[in-house]
Amino acid sequence: MKMTKIYEGSHQWIMFGRDENKPSNIIDSNQYAVRTANKCLLMDPGGSELFAPMMAAILHHAPVEQITDLFASHQDPDVISSLGLWDQALSNAKLHAPALWEGFIRHFGCESIEYVPIPDNGGTIKLENIELQLIPAHYLHSSANFHVYDPQAKILMSGDVGSALEPAGTPMFVENFDSHIEKMRYFHQRWMPSNHAKRAWIERVRNLDIDILAPQHGRIFKGDDVKHFLDWFDALQVGVAV
Amino acid sequence: MNIQTKSQFVAVASITSELSAVMVVAKEISLAAANAKAIAFRAGDKAKGFQPITDFINELAKETIELVTSINVYALSLYQLTVNEYRKTIAYNKFELITELSKGAAYARSMEEPLEKAKITMENCQRQFKRDVKQLLDQLEAVMHHARAARVIAANSRIEASQAGEYLQSLQAVAESVDKAAHTIHDNVQRCRIALSLYRNN
Repeated sequence: MKMTKIYEGSHQWIMFGRDENKPSNIIDSNQYAVRTANKCLLMDPGGSELFAPMMAAILHHAPVEQITDLFASHQDPDVISSLGLWDQALSNAKLHAPALWEGFIRHFGCESIEYVPIPDNGGTIKLENIELQLIPAHYLHSSANFHVYDPQAKILMSGDVGSALEPAGTPMFVENFDSHIEKMRYFHQRWMPSNHAKRAWIERVRNLDIDILAPQHGRIFKGDDVKHFLDWFDALQVGVAV
Repeated sequence: MNIQTKSQFVAVASITSELSAVMVVAKEISLAAANAKAIAFRAGDKAKGFQPITDFINELAKETIELVTSINVYALSLYQLTVNEYRKTIAYNKFELITELSKGAAYARSMEEPLEKAKITMENCQRQFKRDVKQLLDQLEAVMHHARAARVIAANSRIEASQAGEYLQSLQAVAESVDKAAHTIHDNVQRCRIALSLYRNN
């Protein structure tokens, strides 16, 4: 599992992904951690296949007992099917996940972890002196979906928005936006169901000050490429399967 | 999931299936008892010896139904325990893998406590599974005992039926159906016991 620090300030953002030992028939995913002095939040911690390499990678940054918060942007297995294993490893943790999906996500196993349901209009996650905002991203692609915005680090963890399906070993960051477009076009057209939901999200996100847009699959967007992505996505017709 | 875990799931799940067949048969015995009672009543003095047997058959069927109902609840909890044990074993194996993968990590030692806890939980589950299997086997033995008793009653019924003149055939048919039902119960329960006994001492 590769680890890349994408922000270092009063706290850190670390991206985990490109696991070389991952079975080839499961989708590669990016996991993110926010590390403060005594706490650690894992965002979209991944599927059960990734649990062991993911935990082993985190142990380079935080001890198990300081992993206090998990976040699931939505209910998909590549996002949170590892929950039943985290549940047995973490003794004092909370899972922040959509209220709408609670009864579904609990199928993955959630006995000791406290499920903190996120209402449709969003909320916050407090991690020591850091407050992260939970931005509604409903129907992008899941019917109850949230992204995490860190106003201090100016990072938006954007779940499936901005994702691209690429072969193993892909670089961590978008290097040439124009050539990256074709890698993400089909994903957005096919997985995102609603132009209306897309426009509402873009309007909301354009009001945020974002340096880094960090999706769950593929490469991270930095600087001007964040705006390039929003413009491209704005013009894209989605929900093309019907 | 390894072969042994799969077999354990199948063994536990098949108990409920076998027992539901036993339940159907026990209900048939109960019906046969009611039928026999009516015939014996019509036969009057000719079937005097048969009359108390019908009550006995009915009682036996009732007890079997009650026993199987309680075993079914137990079998369901054993199935849940199997699921739990499976989950705990998976977690323990993953935690062991983490210990291996995280060698050299700054906080690798923080996994020691979860690993130890997972080991204890997994072993507790395994012990409880063995205990519960043993208890279930004892309960199944009680059903076998009922099946054997039913066969003895069927044999007595045949003897009594032979005294019943023109009712002989009807009462013999009752005896046959009790005997057949007892056989079925015996065979089904025996299959449960064989499947489970593999896990008593594993």
